[in-house]
Amino acid sequence: MESPSVANTAVGFRTLERQFKAINPGQKHEYPEAQKLTEPHIQSFNSLWERAGPRTPALIDVAMSLVEKQTVYDHKGDVESPLGNKIVFWLDTIRLDHPALSARETKSSNRLMYPTECRQRGITYRGRLTGMLHYQVNDNPVVSEERALGALPVMVRSNRCTLQGMGPADLIRHNEEAEEMGGYFIINGNERVVRLLVAQRRNHVLALQRPSYGSRGPGFTPYATQIRCVRRDQTSQTMTMHYLTTGKLVLRFALRKQEYLVPVSLLMRALVGASDKEIFEAIMGGDAENIFVRDRVELLLRAGKEYAVHTRDQALAYLGDKFRVVMYAPEDATNIEVGQLLLRRMVMVHLDADRDKFNMMAHMVRKLYAVVSGECQEDNPDTQQLQEVYLPGHLYLGIIKEKIEDFLLGVRAEINKNIRQDRVDLYNNRYLSRLFAKIPSDVGAKLQYFMATGNLVSRSGLDMQQVSGYTIVAEKLNYLRFLSHFRCIHRGAFFTELKTTGVRKLLPEGWGFMCPVHTPDGSPCGLLNHLAHKCRLTTIVEETDIVETSLVRMGVEPGLPAPSQRDPHLLGVQLDGRIVGYCSQAVAERIAQSLRMLKLTGTLPFSMEIGFVPRSHGGQMPGLYLFTTPARFIRPVTHLGTRQTDHIGSFEQVYMDIACLDADVRPGITTHQEILPTHILSAVANFTPFCDFNQSPRNMYQCQMGKQTMGTPMHTYAYRTDNKLYRLQTGQTPICRPRIYEDYGVDGYPNGANAVVAVISYTGYDMEDAMILNKSAHERGFGYGTIYKTEYIDLGKFRKAGDPVTIHFGLGTDFLGNEEVMEHIDIDGLPLPGAKVKDGKPLYSIIDDVKGRTKIKNYKGEDGFVDTVRLLAGGLEDELQVIAITYRIPRSPIIGDKFSSRHGQKGVCSVKFPAIDMPFTETGMQPDVIINPHAFPSRMTIGMFVESIAAKAGALHGVCQDATPFQFDETNTAADFFGEQLKAAGYNYHGNEPMYSGVTGQEMRADIYIGVVYYQRLRHMVADKFQVRTTGPVNPLTQQPVKGRKRGGGIRLGEMERDALIAHGAAYFLQDRLMNSSDYSLAYVCRECGSILAPIAAPATSHIVDLSGEGKAGGVTGLSPAEASAILGSSSVGHGRGPLDLSCRLCKSPDAITMVALPFVFRYLATELMSMNMKVKLDVK
Amino acid sequence: MDANGGAYNAAAYQGNSAPSASASMTYLCAECGYHNNIKPREPIRCFECGYRILLKVRTKRMTQFEAR
Repeated sequence: MESPSVANTAVGFRTLERQFKAINPGQKHEYPEAQKLTEPHIQSFNSLWERAGPRTPALIDVAMSLVEKQTVYDHKGDVESPLGNKIVFWLDTIRLDHPALSARETKSSNRLMYPTECRQRGITYRGRLTGMLHYQVNDNPVVSEERALGALPVMVRSNRCTLQGMGPADLIRHNEEAEEMGGYFIINGNERVVRLLVAQRRNHVLALQRPSYGSRGPGFTPYATQIRCVRRDQTSQTMTMHYLTTGKLVLRFALRKQEYLVPVSLLMRALVGASDKEIFEAIMGGDAENIFVRDRVELLLRAGKEYAVHTRDQALAYLGDKFRVVMYAPEDATNIEVGQLLLRRMVMVHLDADRDKFNMMAHMVRKLYAVVSGECQEDNPDTQQLQEVYLPGHLYLGIIKEKIEDFLLGVRAEINKNIRQDRVDLYNNRYLSRLFAKIPSDVGAKLQYFMATGNLVSRSGLDMQQVSGYTIVAEKLNYLRFLSHFRCIHRGAFFTELKTTGVRKLLPEGWGFMCPVHTPDGSPCGLLNHLAHKCRLTTIVEETDIVETSLVRMGVEPGLPAPSQRDPHLLGVQLDGRIVGYCSQAVAERIAQSLRMLKLTGTLPFSMEIGFVPRSHGGQMPGLYLFTTPARFIRPVTHLGTRQTDHIGSFEQVYMDIACLDADVRPGITTHQEILPTHILSAVANFTPFCDFNQSPRNMYQCQMGKQTMGTPMHTYAYRTDNKLYRLQTGQTPICRPRIYEDYGVDGYPNGANAVVAVISYTGYDMEDAMILNKSAHERGFGYGTIYKTEYIDLGKFRKAGDPVTIHFGLGTDFLGNEEVMEHIDIDGLPLPGAKVKDGKPLYSIIDDVKGRTKIKNYKGEDGFVDTVRLLAGGLEDELQVIAITYRIPRSPIIGDKFSSRHGQKGVCSVKFPAIDMPFTETGMQPDVIINPHAFPSRMTIGMFVESIAAKAGALHGVCQDATPFQFDETNTAADFFGEQLKAAGYNYHGNEPMYSGVTGQEMRADIYIGVVYYQRLRHMVADKFQVRTTGPVNPLTQQPVKGRKRGGGIRLGEMERDALIAHGAAYFLQDRLMNSSDYSLAYVCRECGSILAPIAAPATSHIVDLSGEGKAGGVTGLSPAEASAILGSSSVGHGRGPLDLSCRLCKSPDAITMVALPFVFRYLATELMSMNMKVKLDVK
Repeated sequence: MDANGGAYNAAAYQGNSAPSASASMTYLCAECGYHNNIKPREPIRCFECGYRILLKVRTKRMTQFEAR
């Protein structure tokens, strides 16, 4: 027999090799691709503290160079200098140390602090931040002193982390994962990540048309152009230019969350002192014949006349006068200087030279006119083409910078306050040192707050659209979930409440950058995306001089074209939002090609984007747009000309010809080709086997479920104190997996087990997505899991900071020898590791010095075992005050636990069948899992069928099967490929087998599809969810059962459920649910006045309760005669006395009092109504 | 009772009835594995390396619960 081709031999389990590496870790990472996943986080953080190149300094130094020096006068001057003495102060040389122990720790041999200690002790991983504070009084020498800026949280594995540059061997030595990827912060023991956020592409003018702009005020139209200018320190300033019906243009920008509108003509004049002619020419360019634009420019210039500003100085003075206060300008600055300060700090901040700013402003005006006239199209801000990312490091720096500015402004405000109090003395060193010491400069604490809560507390708003939700906990539920936290990218909190769904759309521009599959369904769908696994984010500020010289050499005319050139087809050339010059379209196209070659040869930065937008009819504004800035999306593709890898950006991709497969290459047109078609998918989406066979939503579901799987999140359980950790005890690597498993090292972190799955409708226990579990499979350990829970007990919480310690862990003499307690608690008052804990049993004990007694604390929660007891050194006191108890809670699979295959096919275990009752095949195989065939027709998860036979064949031949998508086609089908393998192993080609009933032993009428499918156990378990109650806690006010599983409450039988019961006519049941099992109560009512509140017990004449009622039990409404007689007693014949010595306060008579059953809330309602002077009258007969 | 009174009493009680056993316990250093004998109310530091996390050793008692 001819042996079939058994799957790609390059893919293997490599079990021995991996085991060897695991016990002999080296210094090089085994899975460099996995390390790249967190690259944007780490590199952006690194760029803050270390220079990237000889001319690209550390961003923190850039940021400090952009913080204005503060100048204050003490107003103690004479006539000649009325402002008096001057003090100038500023901060620079900000440095961040590696996390280290405090100076108080004298015993330690190693001064460095490692992340594992912070995790286990529940503290923050942070390093000392310092800066140099300089001040100068008048012209005296500058005084410099080091200033502590607090302890700043440090990103794990960054260049300020103590794990920096370590390989697997060293990492393991420091109790980390061998392939620790870092990229997160440790805040109070939790791992938190700064979320990637989508930002508008920097330094690029966007044309917008929004109806809301039209309603901003009189004259406003929906048209505007917008540019998000990013300074050299990566902080940004957005400016919007509005088109008004009067022909005026106004520039809108926000300064400290306050919006300002400035006429554009005024700004253009202030920038370079341009005359009307110059402004006209700059906007018109070579397109002098364009009547539309000419008319508009004329209007613009005419509208500018009303300010009577003709020269540059006049314009600057005008602006300076208006902005003097909000710019915090020095008192001695002239209006012109303040105007210049405004231009420098707020207008086109990505550019330094005023001429460049002017040119860019002219371009903005031109684009605005172009979009108004329909010459070019408005841009869609939701496309990835016009987007980039707020990188964690840059956001972090923005906050640090602002907090330092706040410190300087705080000092300034303090001096001004002292001036008013006449206490200022700039020549007194004690005054100065006290002044600077008084203003808090704990930048680290502010950043820790930011990291811990994700809330941005900011004066300026940092040009961001949201104030909260910046950080998330990187949950280590399993490997996939942890990893996807670093790859997820959010559109912004603003869009979550937006009613329009345009932002959520999957756009073709995102091809290769955003994963089309990996987004949650439901409310965050399309807003919370994930980066494609090969997508990178640029993090380095490149040097661009060489780009510029190349451009000029290739024929770009510097500056703007003059109208005298009379060529409307000239295209602008922009480099990072700076107009370098112009050229014709043909030249631009040639330049784009030449630049591409230069880029590939390494002369130009590899990440540079060459966006050549050709002239079109009403398309995007034409031009040659070059980008080298950080925070852009880039991805690798093959350049067909040179066969080299070219990194392309999302802007240029739109205008490039990139083939996907070989068949798509069109000679002469196609320039690039995808490296692999799977590069469009995210890391998690890539792990779905044969996902190209599935209906697309099923792959989305798998991306969700893969992240909810109880799997193997880590190998360092012993060193973790997470709130809750899941562990799958019997994980296997799937037989059938995509090749990418190797790249990311997923083999080391199994997420499930290979199960023999039969697709039969057997006994009905498998209907409606339930699955039958083979009891023997369960006993062999299928899906067996454990939960580790850690509880911190901090005795410091019971006292105020600074108070002496009066509570200690310990078992006092009052309990020593108490066997019941000693069984659970050791003599140090702590639980015994390894001991079983049960709800309500003693857990630990504390000794209270004040009371002089031992207090036993009991365990609350599920039964489990004490796994570890950690004694943690606290903050200030030396003796034991904090412990962390880790419990191990076994969770073997039970009925009601949730499982799923990797194809979005989830199901709940409905029964554990004994092996003898399971159906079996001719070879004697029994399925581990039975699922119902009805799970397939509507869901069309063909990938699961393919996986089933592929893994079956793999198991039979003992090979690992390649399940990479896009490997098969119509001529070379997966069914045939794996069918042949099955045939060669002596099995049915189609994967069906005859099966016999386990109960009767009879052969089934149909052959059964049986194969091997990798099954995940999801973390949703009944043990965490079940909610039952008979009686239990009730709400004290209403006497109704409380809600909530934790409190032992009930489940609400709501209005709709009530409607259903009424419709069924289930009156007795309804009465039982709503009354008897809820707030059933008995109440006295007066039949005369109908009040349930008026009956009141008469002053007791005897303490013996007289139950002798009036004996007319049958007349009591709402109670059955038997009930009422039981309660009231039926023997009495007496008259004139009500039951229980009651009488009605209103009728002054006990005669008419009777007893009814009422919901207790009704009584409450009647009382409430009484408080509003309303009487509730019951018509009792 | 005012705040001072509380503090006074705390000091007063410290002598007579803070009745904890004064026997030292053995804890493992989470860093170097050194067996530290630590008395109640002594600082939580490894004698050997000064590390700040100590682990309680596993109980020697019988911990077989269900022999099924």
